[in-house]
Amino acid sequence: MSNLWSMLLSPEFFFSIFRISAPILFATLGAIVVEKAGFANIGLEGLMMFSALSGSLVSYYAGHWFPGLCAAVVTGVVMSLVMGFFAFHLKTDIILVGIAINMMGSGGTLFLCKVITDITEGTAMASTTGLITRSLCIPNIKIPLIDSIPFIGRVLSGHSLLTYFAFVCVILTSIMLYRTSLGLNIRAVGENPDAASSVGVSVIRIRYTAMAFSGLMSGFGGAFMSMSYAQGWSLDMVAGRGFIALAAQAMGAGECLGGMLASLVFGFAQALGIRFSAIGLDSNLASPIPYAVTIIGLVIFAVSRKRKAAKPRVQAT
Amino acid sequence: MRKKLALMLALVMAVSLTACGGGGSTPAPAEPAAEEEAAEETAEEATEQEAATDAEASGAYNVMYLINGNLGDKSFFDSAKAGLDELEAAGRIHLEFIEMGGTDADQPKWQATLDDVSASGDYDLIICGTYQMPDYLKAVATEYPDQKYLIFDDNTYVGENDNVVNVTYKQNDMGYLVGVYAACMTTDTSIENMNEDAVLGFVGGVDSPVINDFLYGFIEGAQSVNPDVKIDTRYTNDYVDTAIAKEYGASMINDNKCDIIWGVAGNAGNGAAEAALDSGKAWFIGVDSDQELTLSPDLAAITLTSGLKNIGNSLIWIFDEWDAGNTYWGTEVVLGLEEGGVGIVTDKNFDKYASEETKAAVAAAEEGVRSGSIKVSSAIGDTSGAIEKLRDEVRP
Repeated sequence: MSNLWSMLLSPEFFFSIFRISAPILFATLGAIVVEKAGFANIGLEGLMMFSALSGSLVSYYAGHWFPGLCAAVVTGVVMSLVMGFFAFHLKTDIILVGIAINMMGSGGTLFLCKVITDITEGTAMASTTGLITRSLCIPNIKIPLIDSIPFIGRVLSGHSLLTYFAFVCVILTSIMLYRTSLGLNIRAVGENPDAASSVGVSVIRIRYTAMAFSGLMSGFGGAFMSMSYAQGWSLDMVAGRGFIALAAQAMGAGECLGGMLASLVFGFAQALGIRFSAIGLDSNLASPIPYAVTIIGLVIFAVSRKRKAAKPRVQAT
Repeated sequence: MRKKLALMLALVMAVSLTACGGGGSTPAPAEPAAEEEAAEETAEEATEQEAATDAEASGAYNVMYLINGNLGDKSFFDSAKAGLDELEAAGRIHLEFIEMGGTDADQPKWQATLDDVSASGDYDLIICGTYQMPDYLKAVATEYPDQKYLIFDDNTYVGENDNVVNVTYKQNDMGYLVGVYAACMTTDTSIENMNEDAVLGFVGGVDSPVINDFLYGFIEGAQSVNPDVKIDTRYTNDYVDTAIAKEYGASMINDNKCDIIWGVAGNAGNGAAEAALDSGKAWFIGVDSDQELTLSPDLAAITLTSGLKNIGNSLIWIFDEWDAGNTYWGTEVVLGLEEGGVGIVTDKNFDKYASEETKAAVAAAEEGVRSGSIKVSSAIGDTSGAIEKLRDEVRP
């Protein structure tokens, strides 16, 4: 037990929380913005898979991580616009489009990987792990002053460039939603599309923009998965983080700061589960901890919201 | 603007459609090509058949090796080919092989090729392998009950066809060798990044009998070198989440001072290698095939060795048995160290870093298991909970 405490008080424990949270945070921001625009993009998982693959492939062929990152982001945006085209123009149910993208993200990426790289599958599923070296990954950044502070330096410094960027994105997204006319339009379309339309806002354009934003964030999330977290793409490597992001969006009340906290809670729970496994907790109990925490969080959130909603009525009667 | 956007999207759609169309249409023209190939091959076979009949007189088997991929994979396909080449060089078989290709566009050819070679009736044995083949094989094996088949590293349909032998490998024997090696290495502080604590790591896929079979051998092997060795066992609970495997690896290295981690979790296992590389204070051991050859250069540099399934040796063993009059059609043959079915990579980084004592210990362990003086326990079919108990005892 004392062993557990020393593990939980180590800087590596806190460091890992940020690393685990980062990809979820990106996807959560994407989920928040589309939710504000009045719909749900459940295809985040699939978008991240496509971005992860294109990012690692392009960085391999280009020989540098930056083109790979750009490719991942472009892939995310283009795929999300395609989703939007099906949903907004062809009037397909957006949930179905999301399911389709998620399925393609699993099987389709493996297909593309095999076609593009010609890797044969003898012992294991095709992956780009054998192609990507450390230098093709997004670099880790040491922050000059903070790095030299004893405990805090080891927690906050040395993260991937994208981990820092994820937290910067929280602020940027928040500013975009509440301080720009685009944000106002997105929220207006989400609240009441007819009203927004009556004052000359192009509803469909705003929806496409929100969709593209979620693609952009999925692009960063996917790039983080294959170019920073793991070296190279492999089948189903996003492993449900896109879905966790939807939960984090709900848990964070659809707000950027709340979403960030929810992602961090999930990261904390996962890091905790990993330390519990170190002291011998059965793996079948340890690995669901983050999901259990998510469900508990959602329940608490739902109950508190219900109470809040109930209160004014009580006062009115 | 809206029209432009729509146009752009339509363009994207069109491009993706043509791309899909292109992909979809390739198998169609490929098929006549495959038939041509087959025709050429039958022509070749005709000439070779004469040679084959000569060979038959000397008792050599006609063997067809169908590769559901391409040679040069530095893994199972090459290993099998090496074993078969050895048999051919010794004049014991007459080998032909077809590289069927491993992409999705090639897959329609697999069944056709299997059908062709089975229908020709020219071969005493048709060999294929890996998890991708059992369904195709089952179909032809049912259709051609007199044709003999061998499939390696798969036991999906054991016993369903009397003309198929499934060759699989003893993970616990492999684990034993890896355990002996790792336990020798972990206290060898003359090697960079090794600390004096005898703590090893094991990242498994799922807490299941097959994965625990690797672990059982690993623990017993390590304990045979150092009874006080500690082994930190974690399971990723899936075979795909590389990132979580990396987190587990990092936790082992930082929290429990593991300096060697064995990754046995499919693609996810590589996450443990990445954790070792990131931390800069640990090493990785691969599994199944020589991962030093297949990982990217910087990951290969910290891969000390790999536990091996020796496909080639296992095929030689099968022919040895066949010559001795023992056949296993319709059953599963599980090969361990004794039969040469499993082993450990002993060149490259193994050779570079291991001390003479370590090499001697590994060789002695191999000899011990081979001669039967060392018995390695197996987790498969063991319901006593012994492995779980042992796993908890050696936890750091």
